Parts: sequence; structure tokens; C-alpha cells
Amino acid sequence: MGFTVRQIARRADGGEIIRTRAFDGAELSVGRGSDCDIQLADLGLMLRHARLRLAGDGRVAVEAMGGVPLEIAGAFVTRADLDPGDNPTIMLAAHRLTLARGEDGGVLVTAERVLAAGDGSDAASEAQVFTLKKTLPSKRRLAWGLVVLILGLGLALPLWVMAGRQTVLPPALVTAAARNAAPVATPASGWQPDRVWSSGPLSTAHAGLANSCGACHAKPFEATTDTACIACHTPAAIPAHAPAARLARGQVPATGLVADVHKAFNLPEGRCASCHKEHEGPDGALQVAENFCTDCHRGLAARLPDTRLANVPDWGGHPAFKPTLVVQPSLTAPRFERVALAGARETSGLVYPHQLHLSTRNSVANMVRAQGLPGKNGLLACNYCHVPDSDGERFQPISMEKNCAACHDLAFARDGGVVRTLPHGKPEQAAGIIRDFYLGQALSPRAGVAAADRRLPGSEARLRTLAFTSPAQARAQADAAIAGIFGKGGTCAECHAITDTGGANLLTRFAISPVTLADHYLPKGRFPHKRHLSYDGRTGDAACISCHSGVPRSNLASDVLLPPLSQCATCHGGPQLATAAPATCATCHGYHYGESGHGGDALRVRLVVARRGE
Amino acid sequence: MAVRAKAMGRAVARAPRDTAHEGFLGHRRGRWLKVSAALSLTAILAYALIDQTPRPNGGTALGYALGTLGAGLIVWLSLIGLRKRIITTGPYSLKGWTSAHVWLGLSLIVIATLHSGFQLGLNVHGLAYVLMMFVILSGLWGIYVYARLPALLSANRNEMTQPQMLAAIAALDRQLDTAAQPLGRDEADLVRMSIEGCDIGGSLWARLTGRYPGCGNSRAEAAVAALVDGQRRTGTADPRLVQILFLLERKGAALAQARRHVALKTRLELWLYVHVPATFALLAALVAHILSVFLYW
Repeated sequence: MGFTVRQIARRADGGEIIRTRAFDGAELSVGRGSDCDIQLADLGLMLRHARLRLAGDGRVAVEAMGGVPLEIAGAFVTRADLDPGDNPTIMLAAHRLTLARGEDGGVLVTAERVLAAGDGSDAASEAQVFTLKKTLPSKRRLAWGLVVLILGLGLALPLWVMAGRQTVLPPALVTAAARNAAPVATPASGWQPDRVWSSGPLSTAHAGLANSCGACHAKPFEATTDTACIACHTPAAIPAHAPAARLARGQVPATGLVADVHKAFNLPEGRCASCHKEHEGPDGALQVAENFCTDCHRGLAARLPDTRLANVPDWGGHPAFKPTLVVQPSLTAPRFERVALAGARETSGLVYPHQLHLSTRNSVANMVRAQGLPGKNGLLACNYCHVPDSDGERFQPISMEKNCAACHDLAFARDGGVVRTLPHGKPEQAAGIIRDFYLGQALSPRAGVAAADRRLPGSEARLRTLAFTSPAQARAQADAAIAGIFGKGGTCAECHAITDTGGANLLTRFAISPVTLADHYLPKGRFPHKRHLSYDGRTGDAACISCHSGVPRSNLASDVLLPPLSQCATCHGGPQLATAAPATCATCHGYHYGESGHGGDALRVRLVVARRGE
Repeated sequence: MAVRAKAMGRAVARAPRDTAHEGFLGHRRGRWLKVSAALSLTAILAYALIDQTPRPNGGTALGYALGTLGAGLIVWLSLIGLRKRIITTGPYSLKGWTSAHVWLGLSLIVIATLHSGFQLGLNVHGLAYVLMMFVILSGLWGIYVYARLPALLSANRNEMTQPQMLAAIAALDRQLDTAAQPLGRDEADLVRMSIEGCDIGGSLWARLTGRYPGCGNSRAEAAVAALVDGQRRTGTADPRLVQILFLLERKGAALAQARRHVALKTRLELWLYVHVPATFALLAALVAHILSVFLYW
């Protein structure tokens, strides 16, 4: 009877050392203290931790001595009554006591350390302490996590969306484009994952497609086709483009490495997108670089033999001006022709000597001074007739009433204190008015009625009193007056070419040649006059005459007073020259303004200056 | 004798590069620095002189050329992870490879930036660029720590190996454990605090800052010191406690050394936890970047 204690210690090699002692007493003390029956070197224990006592019926009463509860069968208790037959265990800090029935009917107590005293010197522990292996997720795990995340969101998800989607074209955008109207900038609703593939913001016109990649990128690995463009931009709504086939033929074909690369990467040339690059920001799709112009216009005749356009390799090789001149003036259907500037004559139908109007000494100068018209020393200012239009680029149309009538007043008689004038532009009416005026004076004479004979503007009026003895005399004088006004040296002939048909009816006998004044001599280009108001230190009329140098000496309205191209080149050098003023194609030209001339195109292509050595 | 002669012979025929230390940055008198500078300069000149239409970016001929070069470089640069696991002899030394890795990696800043044409957006292309810059910057951080920390590590080590550091602390723990056996529960608990409640490494934050505010050893040391002081004021101190205080102080010093070592090792190692996963993220973004260009061609 009594306790038998087996204390198990572990050797470094894993083997066990078992010490067995027998105790006769009915009590057994357990603790760290050296006076205990079972001494356990465990700082987690009290010096005297617990007591085991044999109860009468072979059971063991366990009691905590140091006030620290004991862990028995998972519960913390201060005392317990245990049956050794059940092999109960008592946890004491890092040690475990197991009770069992002994062979002699006593109680066998096995004590062993179950939580190893860590000495922390093994290799695993070293890695844990001195490296980040256990502190952070492994690099491999982090790498895989990021790879899966990025490939998932950046590739797999967009691919999945792309594969399962039909071509999306916002209907509003299609309608707007077909009408050549302002673009619809509202993107389709929702957020499409393939937007993460966008290489940059779309142009303003295409902003509405930002969420509809499939509208242009119809098939994977296939460069955007013209079909996608034409879906909205019907050929009728694309201004100033030659037919696609001609555009393609006009281009210098890619050769060598470039051609091979294009072929290898399935990038056919001559598509809309070959020139119109998208995803280049708000101005993108319509921005075309300068060399796109010369790509076609250099040696164009060799590729498009039937073209009427001159070859333009660069600014230095720019052909001379071919102004559009009036060759047949007409009130309804004037005819224009483009002719070479050198030796060109224009047939506007007008008689107008610039030289006469730009004098400081003649009757015109007198008139300018007397009427206070703009000018210096009686020299009529250019802008009295050539009034800049609203954008300062060109000039308002010249009209007889606005620009001529101050001097050329069309007076034919004095009636009391009233100067009687003829209507301009209505020769039949004018003839009728003179005839009726004379006959009226014959029928019912009034005092102070006189005919104002033709005189040079600015000279003194020559009055001839009108008094008739008979209507026939009045009629004869009226006919003479009409013939005088319309005839050679008359008021009308000052400015107009007049044909005497010799017809019996005086109202229709004199035919006045129609006048057509060209409003745009170089309609394929634009020349903003307001940006050239000073030239070479000169301003005002002196600046005008710097370029239009023929004006002060011009005696005929048929003189073409445009400056030659070389005049432009005095300031505007080619992009390869280091002059102050630019001379790229876009300095003067838009993209093919079309037959209707400039201003009619909503989708005007903006050209940008390519950075070449700038 | 023969063995000795052989050894001497080897000493005489030592490779030239071993005669004086030449770091990976200046390998072969800066060969890869020159290659990298030439590459960057060529890219800058090409960017400045070649007419790119409609504007410079990845979509022009030069842009594709720079992009191909950059992608090739990125793949080659990431192969250093394989290269360093293969021990070779011969002309392509790991040092030379590392030198090229660093310098060519830096030239990638120029090449990829010119490839982008300075256009960045919130898309996979921008992501690839940002990740690439992140990888390069973390690589610069790595160069800095490799250049600076080993000397500090060596000075702190004081001829001790890592297992020795741990063993010293473990030995002190065993001595503390033994010395505390006769003590009462409260005092024994203080010693347990030092033995059981004491992290050498700990969290990333503790490793980086070297601050261990809840350190069991310093708390135990303070408490035992207070006890000893109290006893000394009223009479003589318990010699067992004095012995334990001495052990706790020695353990404190051993811990401080080990923790300085941990802090330096952590800084030496941490950049790779950024550099390597970011590299793989970059490779993934690069795949998405390149594929998406051709998918939506």
C-alpha cells in the first residue's frame, strides 16, 4: 500500500530516464520545493503545489496547496477525489501526473515533463528569429497572389467580358455621326472591365465610346477596320476625303522593314486608323501629323496619274500660287478659273484704277479731304474699301453704296434744293427716271430745276437750267442726257464697261457688263490678314503695300495684285529652317477643305505640327 | 608536401579579380555602367531626333522598338532569380551578372519612360510602368542596404554566430531557471516572465524599430532590481535575487545584441520581400500590357 512514484526525465537523444521510488505514507507532496516528495523543477509551480492523499476506498484525494487550481480532466479545481482505476491525469504547469493502480494495490504516480523547456538553439528557431520567414508571408506566396490578382483583373476578366459581348454602338452616337453633327459625349452606362486596356483617353468626338471598346475593336488581334468607322461615318458624312481606294493609292507604300513589320503584326496600311490615331487625348482622332500630307503629295502624280494636284515634296518645293480668278463676270453664274499667278489677268467687269485712288494730289485726294474719308494727306486708306471681316482673315464684300457712293454719287439733276440721284444697279430704271424727269418739267415746269452734267468727283458742279418749249424738245434732251450718262465718258462708264446695242428702246439700249469681285483668291489656303498687320516694321497701308506691292502702280482692275509665294517665304521658312514664323502645311492649309471651300465642314481635320528638330 | 605545393601553386595563380576587392557596382571598371549609359543616351537621342507621329508614345515605330527592348530587359533582369541559384564557373560570373542587373535595370527608367512618351493613365499600361518603377526603386533600396548594412552587421556580431547568440540566451535562460527554483511563487513568476515572455525577433514592426516595449526580460529586470533595492534599504539583499538580477542583466545585453542583429538582418532582407513579389507582379502586368495591345490592335 502507499504511493509508487515514477519520475521520467528525457535525455537529449530522446531516450528516457525513469526513477522509481516508493512512499509508505498516505500523503504525497508535490511542488518545486526541495522538501516535496515529488520535486518538479518547474517555475510554473509553487514551492508546495499540491498534495495527494490516499482515501480509504482506494481512491486518491487531490488538493491544491498553493492556492493555484489544478487542471484535472480539462477543469480547474482546488480539490478532487480521483479513482486511480480511471487513470486520471493532473496537469501541473509543464508537468503531468498520471495516477494508476499499482501492482501491490497501491497507487502508481507517473510524473513527466510534457512541455519541453525550449532552448531555442535549433536551426528552425534560428531561421524564425533571424529571418523574415515566419514574420511575413513568403515571397513566393506574395508573388503568386499579385500575379493572380493582376492577371485576373487586367487580363482574364476583360477577356471574359470581351468574349461574351456583342459589338456595342451607342445609337445616339451613330445618328449624330451620320448627320455629321456634334458628337455625343455620354459614355454607355456601366463600367466595362476591358477599359483597363485603353492606352489613353479617346478624342472628344469619340468620348461616348469610352465604355464600348467593342465598337471599334471588333475582333481580337485584328487592327481596327474601316468597317467600324463607316458604321457611323457614312461616306456622305466624311467631308473632303477622296474615295478610300484613291487615298490608299496616293500614299507612298511602306517598304522594307516597315512593310515586313506591318505584315507580321497584321497591320494593313491605308485604313482610316492609319492616319487617324485614337487614344491620343481630346484632340486625338482628327490630329494628323504634317508628314501625312507630304506622304501623299510628294510625287503624287506618279501614283495617281490622273490627279490635277501638283506634287508638293515640302515647303521648299511648294508650287507657285494659282489664284482662282474671275474669267467671266455674271450677276447669276460667274465663272472662275485657277490660273498661274505670273502674267495672270482678271476679268471682273469693273473699271478701277488703284493708282488714281492712291494719290495725294488729284481730285480723288480733294474728295478724301473734303469728305473727311479715312486716309493720310488725301491718300485714300486701303481699309476704306477693304474692310476686314469679323474674324480678320479676309474682307467684307465691296459694294457701290458702301465703298464708292461717297464720291460717285450718281446725281443727274437739281430740283430746288434737292439733288436727284439715280438708283445703282438698275440701268433701265435709271433711264426711265431721267426721261420722266425731263417730261415732267416740260408738262409742269418748276423753277430751280437744273440738269447736273457729268463731272469728275471733287470738281465743281456744272448746272444747266432745264426749261422746255415743247414736250418733244424735252424728250429729245432726255434722250441726249440718257445717252450721255450711259455713253462713253458718262457717269456709269466711270466704273463700268457699257455696250451700246443701238436698240430703239432707250431703256434697254445700253447694256452694262456685270461685275463679279472675287472674295477669295486662294481658297485652298487661309491667310489671316489680322496676323499680318505689321510687316518688317511697317504698319497700316504701308504694311499692306509691302506685300501687295503692285497696288500703287496699278491702272487696271484686271491687274492681279496678289504677292507671289516667295513673298511668304521671306518670313516663313520650312520646318527645317530656323526662322521665327512656322511654315508647316497646317500654317496655311486645312485638310482638303473640299469643293465647297473653307468653312463648310464640321469635321474639319486639324493638323498638328510634327516635332521635327524643334 | 605535394599537397602544400599544390596549395601554394593555387595561391600564386589566383584569379586577378580576387587580388583586390571590386564590388558588383564597379565590376570590370564599370563595364555595365558604360553599357547602360550608352543605351540610355542612344534612347534619348533617338527620342529627340526621330520624328514620331502623331506624338511620341508606345504606338510609334520608335515606341514599339523601345517597348520591345524594355520588355526584353525586364525578362532578362528577372532571370537573375534563376541565375543566382546556379553555381557556375567561367566568364559570366554572378558578380558580373549582378552588375549588369543593376545598371541595365537603371537604364530601364530611361527606356520605359521614353517608351511611354510621358503619357500615363489609369490602365494596365500605367500599372506596368508604376510597378516597374517600384521594382527599380526597391532595387536601389537593396543596393543601399547591401552597401551599408553588412559592415554594421559585422560590427554588431562581435565574432558571434547566430546559433551562438541564441545559445547564449538559452544558456542564460537555463541558469535563470535553475537559480529561480528555490524562490517563492511571485519571484519565480518574474523569472518566468523573462524566460517565457521574451521575443528576440517578434513582429515586423518590432524588428524594424528594435523596440520591444513588452519585453519580459526588461520588465523582470526592473521588478527584480526594485526588489533588491528595497531589500538593500532595509538590510541585506537576498543573494539568490542578486544572482538572478545579474543573470537578467546579462540576458538583457545578449538580447540587445541579438535584436540589433535581427534589425539589421530584417532591413537587409525586407527589400527583397518588395522587390521579388513586385517583379512577378510586373511580369504579370507586362503580359497584360503587351497582350492587350495586340488583342485590341
